[in-house]
Order: sequence, then C-alpha cells, then structure tokens
Amino acid sequence: MFYPRWLVNFGKGPATLPRRAPIRGQAASPPARLFARSLAIRHLDAGSCNGCESELSLLASPVYDLSRFGFSFTPSPRHADVLLITGVVTEAMVPLIRATYDAMPHPKLVLAAGGCTIDGCVFRSAPGVVGDLGRIVPVDAWIPGCPPSPDDLLDGLLGLVGRGGSATGDVS
Amino acid sequence: MMDHATECAGESLPKMCLRAVDEGHKVLHIFPEHGSVRVALWQRDEGSVSECDVGPGPHARPSRHGLPSLRFAEEQDLGPDTFTESASELGVIGEGMHIMPLGPVRADVAEALRYEMGVLGDEIHGVSLRTGYKRRGVAQLMTGSDIPTALAIAERVTGTSNVAHALAFSLAVEDALDLAVNDRTSILRSALAECERLQSHLGDLAALAASTGTIVAAADIYRLREAVLRFGAQWTGHRYMRGPIAPGGWRSELRHVTQELLRLLDDVERQFLAVRQALDHTNSFLDRLHGAGRIPDRSLDLVGVVGRSAGLQEDVRWDRPYAGYRAVIGGRRPAACATGDAFGRYTVRCEEILASVAMLRRAGGDAPETAQLPPASGAGTGTGYGLVESPRGRLFYRVALEDGKVKSCRIRTASSINWVAVPFALANRNILQDFPIIDASFNLSVASLDL
Repeated sequence: MFYPRWLVNFGKGPATLPRRAPIRGQAASPPARLFARSLAIRHLDAGSCNGCESELSLLASPVYDLSRFGFSFTPSPRHADVLLITGVVTEAMVPLIRATYDAMPHPKLVLAAGGCTIDGCVFRSAPGVVGDLGRIVPVDAWIPGCPPSPDDLLDGLLGLVGRGGSATGDVS
Repeated sequence: MMDHATECAGESLPKMCLRAVDEGHKVLHIFPEHGSVRVALWQRDEGSVSECDVGPGPHARPSRHGLPSLRFAEEQDLGPDTFTESASELGVIGEGMHIMPLGPVRADVAEALRYEMGVLGDEIHGVSLRTGYKRRGVAQLMTGSDIPTALAIAERVTGTSNVAHALAFSLAVEDALDLAVNDRTSILRSALAECERLQSHLGDLAALAASTGTIVAAADIYRLREAVLRFGAQWTGHRYMRGPIAPGGWRSELRHVTQELLRLLDDVERQFLAVRQALDHTNSFLDRLHGAGRIPDRSLDLVGVVGRSAGLQEDVRWDRPYAGYRAVIGGRRPAACATGDAFGRYTVRCEEILASVAMLRRAGGDAPETAQLPPASGAGTGTGYGLVESPRGRLFYRVALEDGKVKSCRIRTASSINWVAVPFALANRNILQDFPIIDASFNLSVASLDL
C-alpha cells in the first residue's frame, strides 16, 4: 500500500502548491542558486505571541514536512543559511538579532515571518517595541499573515531560494 | 548577589524571587538552601503594585467559589541590579559547578527565554530563568484604547490561547457594562474555548513525544492537531479561531459545522486513543517521563495542567462555571494525577483531551439562529472581572472602563503563575538530558509571561 503511493508521489514531486511569492525586501540578496539544494534555518523569536512558533513547529509534521525540500531547523546560527525572525521587534531583542545575524556565515538570508515583523501589528505604538525589522537587519523577504499558515511559510521559504515554481501537485 | 540573598532571606526565607535587573529583565532565582518557598512578584513597569494582581504565592491562594483572593504579597523594590553569571548567583556553590546558559535564541523553534543552569557534570543543581526579552507593554497599550482595539490586543497576547484571552476580556467588559449574552452564544463560546484547548494540548503532547524521540507518535499527534486547526479555519475563518468572540456577542458570523464537528471529534478521539495506547506501552517513552521534572513543593500555588498534575484540583470550568460551561461540562472532572512529574502532566493532558471531546459533543456546532452582534456604542463606565480556564490554566482579566475607553486592564495568565515551578522542577535531581523533556512537559508560554 505504501510503495505504489510512494512511486506516484515520486513522479508528482512535492505536494505543495506555491500560491504567492513572499514580498521581496530591500536587501541585496545573494543569488538564489547558492541555496538551491538545502537550507538550514535558524529561528529567532523577537517578541511574538507564539502563534508563529506554533505554525513553524507544524512545518516538521508529516502534513507539511519541510525536510522533503532539504530544509531543516538548526540550533546554531553558525550552521544557518536563513535567519527566520518572528514577532514584534522588542528593544531587548535588537542586540540579539544583530548578534545572531553576525554569527551566521555568508551567504545568508533573512526571512521575516508574520505581520508583526512588518509594522508591529497592534503593538506598533507600545513602549519598547521597534516594530519594523528592516531597520535592524537587511530583510530579503517578508511573509505576511497573523500568523502565516505553514503553507505560507513553506511558500515563503521556497520563494526565497527561487524554487517557488518548481513544486507541483495537490494537497491531499 | 549575596546581599540580595540575605535581604530576601531576612524577610521570609524565599527560595525564589522574581525581580528586575537591567533593561527591564526579570529574573527568577532559586535559593535551594532555604527552607520555605515564597514567591515574590514585582513588575517594574506597573508602578505601585496593584491590589488585583493575583500573586502565585501562598498568600494569594484563590478561593474555591468566587473570584480569586485579591490580596497581593507586596514586595519591596529590590532595585535594578547588575547581572553577572556566576554559580553562586544561583545559590549553588561547589567545586566543578559551572553555569550552562541556554537561550534566548535556543532549540529549533522556541520562544525567547534564557535558562541559566548550574550543573555539576550532568546534574542540574540550580536554575535561573531570565525573561523580559519580549515584553510588548500589553497593559500600557490597552490603557486609553477603545474596546475593539483592546480586544484585538488581548487576542494577540498569546497566539495559541487567543480564544481564552478574548473570552476573558469579553466577560470582563460584559461584567463592567452589564451586558447580557444569550445561552446559545455562551455555549458556542465554550465550544470555541474547548476546541482551542484541544489543539493546544495536542500540540503540547506532540512536543513531548518529539522530545523523547518517539517521532511516530509525534507525527500522528501533529496530524490530529492540524486537523483541528483546519476545522477551526472552516468554522471561524481563522486557524486559531481568532475573531468571533467580542463583548456582548459575536463579531462575525459562524458557520454551521455540526456534521463536520462530529466527524472531527470521532476521528480525533479514535486516533488519539490509539496513539495514547501505543505510547502507554512504549517503555522508552515512559521511562523518560517517570520522575522527570517533579515539582518538589506542593505549597506552590499552581494552576492548570501543571497544578492538576501536582495534586491541586483547581479548574475554573468546574469551580466557577462561566460562559456556557454549566451546560457542557457534564458531571465528572477529568481524572487528576498527583505525581507532579512529566508523566503526571502527560496523563492530565491526555484525560483533558478526551474531556474536551466530550464537551464539544455536548455543545455541538450549530450557530445561533440570529447572530447576536455586540452593541454598536460601548460607551459606559465600570469595572469588571473575567476569569476563565485557558488551555494552560486560570486566566484572569480585570478591566476598568471609563466612557467606553479602557481605563486600566490587569491580566494574570496561567503561564506567569506556573513558570515559577519550572526552575524547581528542573533542579530536582534531573540531568541535562532530561531538560528537553521537562521543558516540553510544561510547554508554558513565554508570551504570557512577558506581557
């Protein structure tokens, strides 16, 4: 029962439909071909409500399974290709974001997930909240949504490395 | 540092206190050599300590039938302090003792929080939690805002329990303005809250299974969680069911989902029981849970799953039914487990998942015939309380309104109460390899602590 299904899926490719590309940031991104095969992702919480974390943790579930694209989360920024930042950017996290970014080897990408990183959402006027991540580190792409669904996150990651159009098939 | 220790010790022998250091950070400290436990709570930004904060210490134990006791164990201002990493700061001193820092950028996907563990070899002897990295100034932000804005903020305090926050805020505003809500609306509100508990508990159990390396079980439970989240999107238009609950009624129309709900509940119950049975017969899973992260002192006033796994019976749904819970809870509480370790928290979560399924069956998914929309003008003055059982435990809101604007809003979340138990549980004869399991067995929210 497993193997025929496996063969069919092998022929169809990954079952994810990229629906929208992420919003490109201002950063001068390194060429996407450098990241064509795999991607080590370092997640950083810069003041989220844990909704984005909840969706990110589902990426490892069999429903989304980011490892089939060669993507993985890494515990160390030293091994990371992508810095994935969630949450309103609080002042206490600014030096940590910079330190994590500096600790990553070149070439590197920054992906901002969730509406909070764009403008701080409802927290934009709160004391101690910076809001706009683009003022701290160069952002390569933004994924809107509150929280962005795992589909949105996968689309964003695939779009970031220029593989947005390659995945076909249907979500079943 | 020793000055601080003796200062606290001279007053009433605390083991732990929550205090401010540079940059508004709060530190939970353990002084294991002292006898009794007292938890000091102090928040620098809130100015004078409010009478309505429900402190986690034994002084502020909530009464069983009514609002929690509003007394607060007021602490003197310990003042800003420089933070240096040293083993003596944890109250653990000895040859070979060193500090193992972890965070705030840690694990695969985790919230910003810093653990500092005093370890001797593999053994954890003292733990300090450093929080405050993600303070968003929720209370200050709510002050002066109108009710819809304040509701939007309340819904974003904790993403995974936004229904509970919206419900507690709405109950508080309804209490303040004397708004009435019809029965069907109330029951649907509790149905939404139970659906949220279902996805939250499933997520916690999946994280626990993943932490012990039982990835097949984790995959199965994640799949169930995804099914519940997709059902939430079908029901309310948002995967985490944010949106419908508003003071006085509904903000948006709900869809009729009775058939889909029953099908989902059947699937979740059947498949969850199968996974649970498999886990209950997997020794490599159980061996890691038994005795891991045991909460040592029962006098800690804990709430929610953590409290019920440590022998405390508090559950707001039964003690003080709110919204439509009187109609849906049924008679019996979910079985409690008094072991206080990771296995206890696992068992309580499993039982509560089954209880939530039963409650959702009683509530049903029928939307009310006529949607009860909130009153257009919310102008009014008064103070109200909202007390609900969020997925992680008791959640308390006090909202003071003045001419339709929020004059002040005090929030006391379950995580802000239960985090004090984590250092105790970690530094209780565990080794570093137990850390991920204990962390996952609590699975508390940092967003609810750093309001």
